[in-house]
Amino acid sequence: MPPRLPLRLPQLRSSPLDTLASIATIPSFLLPFLHVQSRSASILSSLSDTPGAYNKRIRRGRGPASGKGGKSGRGSDGQKQHGKVPAGFNGGQTPEHIVHGKYGFTNLHATEMSPINLNRIQSWIDQKRLDPSQPITLLELVRSRALHGIKDGVKLLGDGAAELKTPIHVVVSKASQSAIAAVEALGGTVTTRFYTPQAIRRIRLRQMHPFISLRWDPQALNKPALAAVGGQTLEERVSGVGYEYRLPDPTSRKDLEYYRDEKNRGYLSHTVKEGEGPSLYFKPPISEEELKVLKKKSASGKAGQAAKAREENKLW
Amino acid sequence: MEIAKEIEAGLGSTNPDPQQSSAPQPSSTAIYTLDSPILKTLYSWPDLEPTRYAWYEQQFLDAPMRRDILHRAVVFEADASRQGTASTKWRYDVHGSNRKLYAQKGTGRARVRDKKSPIRRGGGVAFGPKPRDFSTELQRKVYYQAFKIALSYRHRKGELTVLDNRIALPEDTGARFLNNVFEANSWGKANGRSLLVTSTLESQDPEIFEEMHEIGEHGLLKDIEDVDVKDLLETGRVVIERTALEALLGKHLKLLSGPEREAERRRIVQYS
Repeated sequence: MPPRLPLRLPQLRSSPLDTLASIATIPSFLLPFLHVQSRSASILSSLSDTPGAYNKRIRRGRGPASGKGGKSGRGSDGQKQHGKVPAGFNGGQTPEHIVHGKYGFTNLHATEMSPINLNRIQSWIDQKRLDPSQPITLLELVRSRALHGIKDGVKLLGDGAAELKTPIHVVVSKASQSAIAAVEALGGTVTTRFYTPQAIRRIRLRQMHPFISLRWDPQALNKPALAAVGGQTLEERVSGVGYEYRLPDPTSRKDLEYYRDEKNRGYLSHTVKEGEGPSLYFKPPISEEELKVLKKKSASGKAGQAAKAREENKLW
Repeated sequence: MEIAKEIEAGLGSTNPDPQQSSAPQPSSTAIYTLDSPILKTLYSWPDLEPTRYAWYEQQFLDAPMRRDILHRAVVFEADASRQGTASTKWRYDVHGSNRKLYAQKGTGRARVRDKKSPIRRGGGVAFGPKPRDFSTELQRKVYYQAFKIALSYRHRKGELTVLDNRIALPEDTGARFLNNVFEANSWGKANGRSLLVTSTLESQDPEIFEEMHEIGEHGLLKDIEDVDVKDLLETGRVVIERTALEALLGKHLKLLSGPEREAERRRIVQYS
């Protein structure tokens, strides 16, 4: 290595590119004592992480002074010291999985919701990472890293409901009753709508609108904060609101029932008729006039027609 | 511009003219207070004439040196750029029979299995490389900070030149013109090469990138999407368009949204 000369005078490169040559403000007789690097060597060779970021490799079986000398951390004798023991091997005793057999199963159809709590949303708003004047959808949540990846949907939960101070307009897959109460107490809105894992992927790729779908009806929902985005007309929604794909709506009874329920602030709750419930399992009760019409039909001897009418009334 | 005037007032009696910056100044502490922004002269391309000033917030262009962050960023980039395509055939991938070559006992020779064993000629490689992904992860905020640190380091060393307009080739010019620019400004190989950074993407205007490639020994041209921390530290100096500098210093803006992003963007730089 050639000798380094720390007391070398720095080259005062008074190129016109230097805007404020701060060196010039220092008295010149001090210059030799200020270590100013003047070689045009790259900094790359002198980079390193902090010493604490590195762990020294443990060298096993290298003498007693190393602390891992004699038995190398593997204990005394036997198969475990020398090699591997089969998984589940119980030392010759009948293994656990033979005695008790297999039990339980994994439900492949279960949906896993990613939880988001109200105090986290408020904290994100305080940090200016979420904009409360805009609808907060799963896209905003995942972009601001309030959620790290979304499985099958987002459920709004009411932890830290007392900490929420800002009116917010949230569109999520599901919401707990306590969360809905807390948000609406402040003048905000909660709307739950249907998402599939594929839809979530495409929303994150900006290929799908975060909440407007064919059956999303801004007029019926009557939420001005959400209506500002567009999708007022059916034509607009059919064209996908300018996105490549359209957001899907639910088709299974279970999903339809959830989003038909006003209690859940479902986006299909306006489709529930007067006097009916969100459930699609039971036929809705018949009014007196309808009953009369039906009786008239059966009385006129057209049993076949009545049967057909009954067939039509079936929802599932 | 009012802000500019305020800043000038804050700079005290300093003459902002870079040509006279070596003139004696009354107090160095007055200039270097905590909130004083970094003054940069903008230059025109290709004649490198000073055009106007820009003021950068200190945390963007005078970020404290963090060798550990730079190291992590450079290693992260190096890991990501490894191809990881090395591939060999293990004994089970080699084409051939699984027949035992000869009986286990009685031949007087060492016991063997098949002819694809790694210890035999024509056999497989024992645990040789297979294609794999070497890329590591780094928190985005740390990586974006590394850009600020690298550019700040260059600025403090006087190796950062900011251009007011786009780096472009005049009509009917090419590599020779670029070579002349490099020679006139002492940017070439003899002076440690130079990195030019433009906000024009290579896909939009490939010509100037090709011409620059021809004088690759003197320097290189990268667009803002291609340039990384290691590039910013490698060469003798960095010559960057003001829009490109804004983009690199504002990489963290994509983590923000709405009016906050706009406010943060405006904080980075003020032009006179």
